[in-house]
Amino acid sequence: MSSKETFNQISPSEFFYRNRDLAGFSNPTRSLYTAVREFVENSLDACDHSGILPNIHMTIKAVDPEKPDPKQYILTVKDNGPGIPSKHVPLAFGTVLYGSKFGLKQARGMFGLGATMAILYGQITTNKPVKVKSNADGKTRFDFEMKLDIQKNKPVIMKKQETPSTEQGLSVSIVLDGDYAKAGTKIRDYVYQTSLITPYATITFDDPKGEKFHHKAIIRSMPPAPTVIAPHPYGIDVETIRRMLVDTHYQIPNVDDKMIEKVRKELGMSKKKFTYDEIMKKTEKKWKSLTRPVRVVISLMSFLEADFEKLQRIRIEDVDLRNNKLTYWDYSTSQTLVADMDVESPYYKQLANTVQGESLTHFLNKRFQRVGPTAALEFCKFAKFKPETRIGNMTDQELVKLSDALQTYEGFRSPDPTCLAPLGDGPLEKGIERRFEPDFMAVVQRTASAYSGFPFVIEMGIAYGGKIETRGTTVYRFANRIPLLYDEGSDVVLKVVKDTDWNRYKVKNDSAPLIIVSHICSTRVPYKTVGKENVADRPEIEKELRLALQFLSRKLSGYMSKKGQAEMAKKRANLYSKYLPLVAQFCTELSGNKKEPNYKQMIKEEIAINNAGENKEVEKNG
Amino acid sequence: MAKKVTKKVTKKVDKKEKIDKSKKLINLLKNHGAQVYEDLENGEFPKFSIPNRSISNIIYDKKLRQYILGTNTSLRSARNSSQLRSFTQLLWLAFFANKLTHEKKSSTLRDVYYSSQAFAIDFEDQQESDNIIVDLEAVLSQPREDFYVFPEERSSIFGDLTIEYTIPGYEGKTQNLSSHPDGYAIGPSMTSAQLADTSAELVIAIEKGGLFTRFVEEQVDKKFKSIIINTGGQAPRSTRTLLKRLHDEMGLPVVILTDGDVYGEHIAMVIKSGSANAAHLKGLTVPDAKWMGVWATDIDKFKLPTIPMTESDIKRCYDLLKDPRYQEGLWKRELEVFIKIKRKAELEAFSKYGLTNITEKYLPKKLEESKSY
Repeated sequence: MSSKETFNQISPSEFFYRNRDLAGFSNPTRSLYTAVREFVENSLDACDHSGILPNIHMTIKAVDPEKPDPKQYILTVKDNGPGIPSKHVPLAFGTVLYGSKFGLKQARGMFGLGATMAILYGQITTNKPVKVKSNADGKTRFDFEMKLDIQKNKPVIMKKQETPSTEQGLSVSIVLDGDYAKAGTKIRDYVYQTSLITPYATITFDDPKGEKFHHKAIIRSMPPAPTVIAPHPYGIDVETIRRMLVDTHYQIPNVDDKMIEKVRKELGMSKKKFTYDEIMKKTEKKWKSLTRPVRVVISLMSFLEADFEKLQRIRIEDVDLRNNKLTYWDYSTSQTLVADMDVESPYYKQLANTVQGESLTHFLNKRFQRVGPTAALEFCKFAKFKPETRIGNMTDQELVKLSDALQTYEGFRSPDPTCLAPLGDGPLEKGIERRFEPDFMAVVQRTASAYSGFPFVIEMGIAYGGKIETRGTTVYRFANRIPLLYDEGSDVVLKVVKDTDWNRYKVKNDSAPLIIVSHICSTRVPYKTVGKENVADRPEIEKELRLALQFLSRKLSGYMSKKGQAEMAKKRANLYSKYLPLVAQFCTELSGNKKEPNYKQMIKEEIAINNAGENKEVEKNG
Repeated sequence: MAKKVTKKVTKKVDKKEKIDKSKKLINLLKNHGAQVYEDLENGEFPKFSIPNRSISNIIYDKKLRQYILGTNTSLRSARNSSQLRSFTQLLWLAFFANKLTHEKKSSTLRDVYYSSQAFAIDFEDQQESDNIIVDLEAVLSQPREDFYVFPEERSSIFGDLTIEYTIPGYEGKTQNLSSHPDGYAIGPSMTSAQLADTSAELVIAIEKGGLFTRFVEEQVDKKFKSIIINTGGQAPRSTRTLLKRLHDEMGLPVVILTDGDVYGEHIAMVIKSGSANAAHLKGLTVPDAKWMGVWATDIDKFKLPTIPMTESDIKRCYDLLKDPRYQEGLWKRELEVFIKIKRKAELEAFSKYGLTNITEKYLPKKLEESKSY
């Protein structure tokens, strides 16, 4: 248990520093590749969620090109995304575990930790600061140079500068130890494959040797962005429920600019500056017409004696009903403060109600997908809970019971796939068509399915011949629009491809110019290893992959037999023109005749028959 | 004296037969050519009817005491695109055989393979051209030697036998086959020669070159009034033809001496009654030939040093047990003893008792014995 003690004593950044292997920063080769991935994926995610067609420019430059690898490289990734508001930049890039990706929706990265890890790794190996240039409003660009204080898990800003600029977006640049000689192939593959699965993105890569890899966007429309949705009851463990409960019964709204705007609007105090007293006075008048979140925010304001300006500077951290304490973080002074709560205050009741939580049925109905009011009641009957049980009062044992019941109850409908963002067969087809220019291709998007509560969708494409240069079956694996390049051996997709008997589909497996593109979209892709490079073989996923591949293989088989027939007909025609003259020559000599027999007409007729067959084929295709 | 007269008569008949045979063959080839010509002229796809050589169509003929083909035939048509190539190859071979027969020029199997390349016939390998040669044999019911195609030779002959060549450039020339101690290769000129005269009373076919040389050194030809033939393992068809002629035309009995194993026994059997491979041909067998040894029972009798049989040796034994020719007498008995002792002995094994043991002790004993079965 000593390790736990150690963990408790160190800051998150120190923990990650000590365990950086886990995040893919084990050696200069892997680290360079991982850093590239983290930054590019962050950029793509940001653009996706803001509905901006991504234009990403990556540069890797050696600090001293003459030195042998591994050596220091400058990695810069610049995008045209939404940028990050300047006040969030230090926290976003200067602390570990600060992230916005905690909801349940499909995204490339999970928590946004990777970028910080890359910065941390760069700082550890070169002691150089990270340079961040962010323009969130299309008016001003903020340039930061900063380092991470590993012990305190806090950003140390070394330089900050403002420049007027109309170019929205974010640029991050770090210096790190890397080995491009070894990582180069993977990085170029990564860039290429990313462009294949993100055909709406323009990706440019300037490599250290002065080569430029430019992958222009093929389509101008983006697939619809994934929506954030509640989790499905299956696949929920006790810990997740506990977190959800905490989250729910502390349903203190996030006091951001938007929220404050809402409060002002409902109070009718939008325009001017108001004092704390003025606000409270207005509140008493308007209380009945206020919405619940606004009531909660005002209750908080009452204990903090805060006006709108003060509210903007803080973040609520804890509402402790037992001790009547309210804890919050003050951005202006960068410290945690505590305020007492008066039990007698009418606002206390408002907060307490919120904190004690709602009824179990209400909680299930509101916090889970696919659980309607009736389903919630049915479930309570099944699990032997009173429907009106207050979730804030549930014991640990009850939580375990609840979690178990959620797994075993069979009445819930299957998970909702709207949180997924598959590429769609159109863009996938375009991507494959433009990148490979094959003779034949087909794509399929399976309907959504689920494995232990997590919805997923399989998309797959197959391409044959044309400008495909590889021989044998080449499989491009993607998960949530990320190319998977390492550890292919144990991947479920490859397993399914390997199991396929290609002879059945008239394909010569070892010599065919065949490409398979497989894309798994899920709110949680079941990776086998921490490295997130291969997908585990869950039976539900394997089944969907198999069905997708079978569908495509049958289409390919149809094409192959048509192609085979055409080739055969041509071959036949060639055979006759080659051998019949010989037959004529030999039999003439053998029989002692002087003139060759009149056989030429036979060849003509044979070719005519074949041509007729081919023309028919063309018409059918047309 | 009477014997000699018979021989002279045989000779004349033989010469005439030879010419007839040649003419017959040329006619046969011409007819096939004319049929193909006619088909083409009529705008029809020509075809050959080839006796089916698959296992199911091979029958053992008890009367002939050899394997023969049944009545099944398969068509090879120029219309069928998968047969067109082999049809052309077959016709080319007929054309080539016609040329050889006219010019009396011999060609080896390998020659055929290379000759084809001048005509864009593209045999993939010699195996393929060899198969086509067997096809033509089956179509014509004539051994390839008749159309002057021979295998590479590795068998040889030695002894007091005078032959008269018939091949171009040597016609009428005679040769006695005891003048060169290494023996004479049995090639096309030998098999086509007239058998003129001999003082021998016996033909000894022996499986191995080493023993052949020993027999010459030990003057087995003189001591036992014999012609010695080295079959070089499984006897080639030209050698079997020669053995048959020595037996039929000169009236000489044939005895066979092989290693004491299942393969040796079968070498003797093939000389006696032919092989399944050549079931489409007749006139290659010497039904009266006798396997003199080494028998499985000899191994114990003569206390020969042995080596254990391999898996495949034993499997071969069981395979032959199913063969109709191994169902009785000596053949069955020895095979069963081999299976029982699971050991084998080579001809050289006699050297344990001195190099001349085989010729001085074993051979006379077995020759004496052979008169009684």
